[in-house]
Amino acid sequence: MNCERIREQIPECLAGRLGDAARERLVAHLETCPACRAELAELNAVWRGMASLPEPEPDPAMRTRFLEVLEAYQAGRTSGLGMQVGNPPRGWWPARPVWQPVLALALLLLGVFLGRYVAQPRGADPDIARLQGQVEGLRQLVTLSLLQEQSPSSRLRGVTYSYQMAQPDTQVEQALLYAVDHDSSVNVRLSAVDALEKYAADARIRRALADAVAVQDSPLVQIALVDLLVQLNDKEAAPALRRLAQDAQADAQVRQHAAWAIQRMEVSQ
Amino acid sequence: MLDVRAGDVGKLELLFDRHHRALFRYFLHLTSNRAVSEDLVQEVFFRILKYRHTYQPGTRFYPWMFQVGRNVYMDRAGRHKAEVAMPERGWDVRSTDMPPDRQAQSRQEAALLRRALAAMPAEKREVIVMSRFLDLKYEEIASILKCEVGAVKVRVYRAMRELSDRFFALCGEQAS
Repeated sequence: MNCERIREQIPECLAGRLGDAARERLVAHLETCPACRAELAELNAVWRGMASLPEPEPDPAMRTRFLEVLEAYQAGRTSGLGMQVGNPPRGWWPARPVWQPVLALALLLLGVFLGRYVAQPRGADPDIARLQGQVEGLRQLVTLSLLQEQSPSSRLRGVTYSYQMAQPDTQVEQALLYAVDHDSSVNVRLSAVDALEKYAADARIRRALADAVAVQDSPLVQIALVDLLVQLNDKEAAPALRRLAQDAQADAQVRQHAAWAIQRMEVSQ
Repeated sequence: MLDVRAGDVGKLELLFDRHHRALFRYFLHLTSNRAVSEDLVQEVFFRILKYRHTYQPGTRFYPWMFQVGRNVYMDRAGRHKAEVAMPERGWDVRSTDMPPDRQAQSRQEAALLRRALAAMPAEKREVIVMSRFLDLKYEEIASILKCEVGAVKVRVYRAMRELSDRFFALCGEQAS
């Protein structure tokens, strides 16, 4: 074995990861080759020297910030986004299938009775409506202010908070679109794409999402946008996707994904 | 990670506690900036949360995490091309039971080694960090860097060779 091949094994040997047979060959070579012995000694000095380099600790506040994001994410998942699907309520719901239709029928009859004889028709309570408006306004304020924070974690919370808004809001949708196009954090952009799904019934939003595909510099965000457009089955996005599929500057995976999206949309027509 | 993948996302806290330091040190070696490194760690765990379904059951979480970490770093490096990694002050040599004069010498050598490492091209510094500090196997480094194991072997050796040249050159400058 020549010296070059032997020397390539030195770091692996220093790390203690070289197999027995390879190590024996290395040792046999070193016994007869002073140049490789010198190489081993030099690299060993540097390798061992690196053990004395410090191992800096991250700021403990980082953990707190991570837990905040995790909690915000969990709160977002459970706040009625339809992400938890299918599990029947447990506890009071009978486990045996035979009782389930019986209970369902009883609940139906109870509902009809209450609706007919107990609930009184009445107009919307103006106090309740005003209160709901105030809460919604507060949510909008919190969302918008968080989206303007310096820290990406706070902006992520802002995006998550937007899920809690019951009604679409023009300012929030504009702030989310701005985040998709301009936020410095890819994660904030990805989350904003997800959050905009709620607003996608509006054709203007769908067009803005299609336009955003071309200006993105992150392949991950481009793929997330393409997935959303496929999910929305937005035919008007097809030209933008075609341009992306043919854009030589775009990431290869993104181009493939855009081509796949076009096919998928054509099939569903 | 299997629980997180299945939807029990609260378990990510355990994985964070176990691995965030290694990830932080990886980024610190690449960026030489504590604040940026902490931000990148947050981004990695958020991305793991978001793309948890892409984790392949039966594979080791640790190298997968660095794969995600590398993508996050590359995304950021693409957006901040003008930024140059500058070593921060404040890294001190690990305390030992050495006599004071030997400690001073060791501190000086560690400072030179750190300078040599920080001056390396990013891709070479990265393979050294992965093989020396992160305890990753060559097969795992190959899967993270998307190359053959043989290529990793050659890259690590060449990077070590260059680091050694830079380090001994700095020692020579210091002595003269």
